[in-house]
Amino acid sequence: MTDIVASDLQQVQDAVQDAVAAKSRLELRATGTKRHLGRTVSYDSILDVSAFNGIVDYQPEELVLTLRAGTPMDVVEAALAEARQMLAFEPPSMTRILGQAEPGVRGTIGGVIAANLSGPRRLTAGAARDYLLGFEAVSGRGEVFKSGGRVMKNVTGYDLSKLMCGSFGTLGVMDEITLKTLPAPETARSLLVGHDSFSDAVSGIASIFATSHEPGAAVILPKSIAAEEGVDLGKPFTLVIRLEGIEASVADRLGHLLTLSGGEPLDVGRSASLWLRIRDVQPLAEKPHDIWKVSCAPSDAPRVLAAIDRGLDIRMIADWAGGLIWVAGNSPRIGPALRGVIAELGSGFAMLVRDVGVTRETIEPFQPLPGPILELHRRVKASFDPLGVLNYERMHHGV
Amino acid sequence: MLMPEPDQTVIDRRGDICGALRRMLPDGCVVDSTESMKAFDSDGLSAYRQVPLAVLLPETVDQIAAVMKYCHEQEIKVVPRGAGTSLSGGALPLADAVLLVLGKFNRILEVDYANRCVVAQPGVTNLAITHAVQGDGFYYAPDPSSQIACSVGGNVAENSGGVHCLKYGLTTNNLLGVEIVTIEGEILRFGGKHLDAGDYDLLGVMTGSEGLLGVVSEVTLRILQKPATARALLVGFDDTGDAGMAVGDVIGAGIIPAGMEMMDGLAINAAEDFANAGYPREAAALLIIELDGPEVEVDALIERVEKIVRAAGATSVRVSQSEDERNLFWAGRKSAFPAVGRISPDYLCMDGTIPRRRLPDMMRRMNSLSQQYGLRVANVFHAGDGNLHPLILFDANQPGELERAEEFGADILRSCVEMGGVLTGEHGVGVEKRDLMNIQFTEDDLKQQQRLKCAFDPGHLLNPGKVFPNLHRCAELGRLHVHKGKLPHPDLPRF
Repeated sequence: MTDIVASDLQQVQDAVQDAVAAKSRLELRATGTKRHLGRTVSYDSILDVSAFNGIVDYQPEELVLTLRAGTPMDVVEAALAEARQMLAFEPPSMTRILGQAEPGVRGTIGGVIAANLSGPRRLTAGAARDYLLGFEAVSGRGEVFKSGGRVMKNVTGYDLSKLMCGSFGTLGVMDEITLKTLPAPETARSLLVGHDSFSDAVSGIASIFATSHEPGAAVILPKSIAAEEGVDLGKPFTLVIRLEGIEASVADRLGHLLTLSGGEPLDVGRSASLWLRIRDVQPLAEKPHDIWKVSCAPSDAPRVLAAIDRGLDIRMIADWAGGLIWVAGNSPRIGPALRGVIAELGSGFAMLVRDVGVTRETIEPFQPLPGPILELHRRVKASFDPLGVLNYERMHHGV
Repeated sequence: MLMPEPDQTVIDRRGDICGALRRMLPDGCVVDSTESMKAFDSDGLSAYRQVPLAVLLPETVDQIAAVMKYCHEQEIKVVPRGAGTSLSGGALPLADAVLLVLGKFNRILEVDYANRCVVAQPGVTNLAITHAVQGDGFYYAPDPSSQIACSVGGNVAENSGGVHCLKYGLTTNNLLGVEIVTIEGEILRFGGKHLDAGDYDLLGVMTGSEGLLGVVSEVTLRILQKPATARALLVGFDDTGDAGMAVGDVIGAGIIPAGMEMMDGLAINAAEDFANAGYPREAAALLIIELDGPEVEVDALIERVEKIVRAAGATSVRVSQSEDERNLFWAGRKSAFPAVGRISPDYLCMDGTIPRRRLPDMMRRMNSLSQQYGLRVANVFHAGDGNLHPLILFDANQPGELERAEEFGADILRSCVEMGGVLTGEHGVGVEKRDLMNIQFTEDDLKQQQRLKCAFDPGHLLNPGKVFPNLHRCAELGRLHVHKGKLPHPDLPRF
């Protein structure tokens, strides 16, 4: 395996065109923090794009940030913090779960976009895919192409930005990307509410979201994890609701919700550290378990949990009002049980994010696709990368 | 505007085709008399008209699938149409294409408060979604100005926006799932009631694809709890540059208003004549800034915004003291288009986006173009997100004026791209801006987009002649270039 280090688009084009000519396969890599996501595939060469680094243009009052895809997340976060802004989709750091490629290395914005990673605020503010305004990339044909733009409102041509988000580098090598930024909230506080059952907690969230008190994030923790995080209220489940905004507004809404749902407030500092740990799935990362990421309709969350709660010895966190369930455990029955319940429900997905043993050799990490959708994925892949030069089969067979 | 040459062999088979379609669809669902088809010969871009091969009004998804399968096998083009309110000619019929009208798909299938979404058929109007849930305090956020008439399926096809996009996003940010029928007649689902799918975001790509990738047969839309309150400021400036600066200052201060609209002098006066909203007639620019949310928050932010706009040089500031007064502020803005219609026999509504800081440059450019073409222009902007709606006034009865107005409009859009912006913020490319796509995109950009089209519709049967200025055959688009003298498969014989 050889490394090709590219620092500009021309070098990427050359590398891709050489790979096309030689019919060889490239693995795209910047800092490599997410390279264990997806299928285990061997490639002929690594195309190192970590030199695609730096902020190109940042206009906070335009809410627009243009930067190169290999820019490390700590650089991005520092620039945003200085302007008191944020990426509203709250990108998590995967280094807690997946381990660092090298000590101290953070992932890049390109990796966040390629994996469409979003944190707790995704529930109300949207995902990474909602904030990518445009990009420039090299396709698997070795051609430079762009889509979208550097403005917030744009419907000119197909929205290829959506497709790049979550394509795990299988469609193009991104260089410049433009993101929509938003002002960071002035403050954030949380409300803790104890519930006797998981489905009570899910219903509790629905009733809070039927008010105009603008909850911003909602996670359900089982008692064991709530206790470890210091937010145990003595009930089997603790619901944590986050409120953000200006001080007067947050205090007012928290007061209303305390009256409505009961529970206890969590102060600013503890609220911030708890949500950071939830964002990075830290409560599950610390034990040597396989970790699954399950996306489902929030009201289906109790059924998903029921399917894996029978003696499988799991730990879990249910973020996004129940719509994102992180499941950790080592039973080989977890994966098939999750896949089974998702199939029964007919929507959602279960993805193997981390395996500490050999799980990946026995089950596809991505939710298998129905035949016609898989066929469409292959056609879409071929339209960008006909010979399968870029991160081939990282997600699905033949894609 | 040149549309693709109609396929005479298809037109010659019209009788047989209509016969076959009649066997597939219930009585009355195939309309093929020229007289009845006239009602469908245009959409919101009424300068262009064409009677289609036949108008089809299917009633079930299976019927859509049957029609698509038949058309695919017979190589007959299909133009999908919702309510026909497209402002860019997205639903303009073709002489050799059937017009697939989704008007009978007008039922809301499910209101799901537990998951905060509504499942609806594509022909339901945008406003009907809000009507279905407002009794329980919910609403559907995207609010294109045609919301009383436009359909949610059309909203998906065009990725429709509205005046509240800055805070609440476009259709794409409020859409959870779709069911589509492909040109091959296959029924597929992208997304659903869950938030993230772990695959290619085909839902995202369908949104705003202008009917070129598939026919939307069902939508799942996110609904939101209505904000506790909303208040608005009406702010006058004697300089459009100051107004533009004020918009940047508000956002720079960390405030995202629900809406931030700007009008120029001509638009202010036309709207005031029409609606008597109490607009400052002497102002060169007017901002309507609306804040929504919890009452304490709105009250606090209104104060902050007032300070900011005064510091930016506002010449008049009014803060709404009641719901009636807030609605009055909006009445003028919402009637801006008909109001301009009263001061000119005809107008063209343009729709570009620029980086907001370029607004003063854009205003100067428009003034000089206005003099150059000898046509007046009234400006209405979604100022918060840089989306411009210049209204070019002309008289179609004067020979050459329509052409001059179109040329003026094209120059405005060219300027948008030159200043770092884009051709269309929310109205779509359609036929209207099709031939300008080369200004914003390179040949390689457009070819890549068309390759994606080929993945969905290799025969170019769905809504051809829209969006792309040049149609390339999929086989030609798929060819790989020779690089540095090397061929991808040097071992294969070539002829």
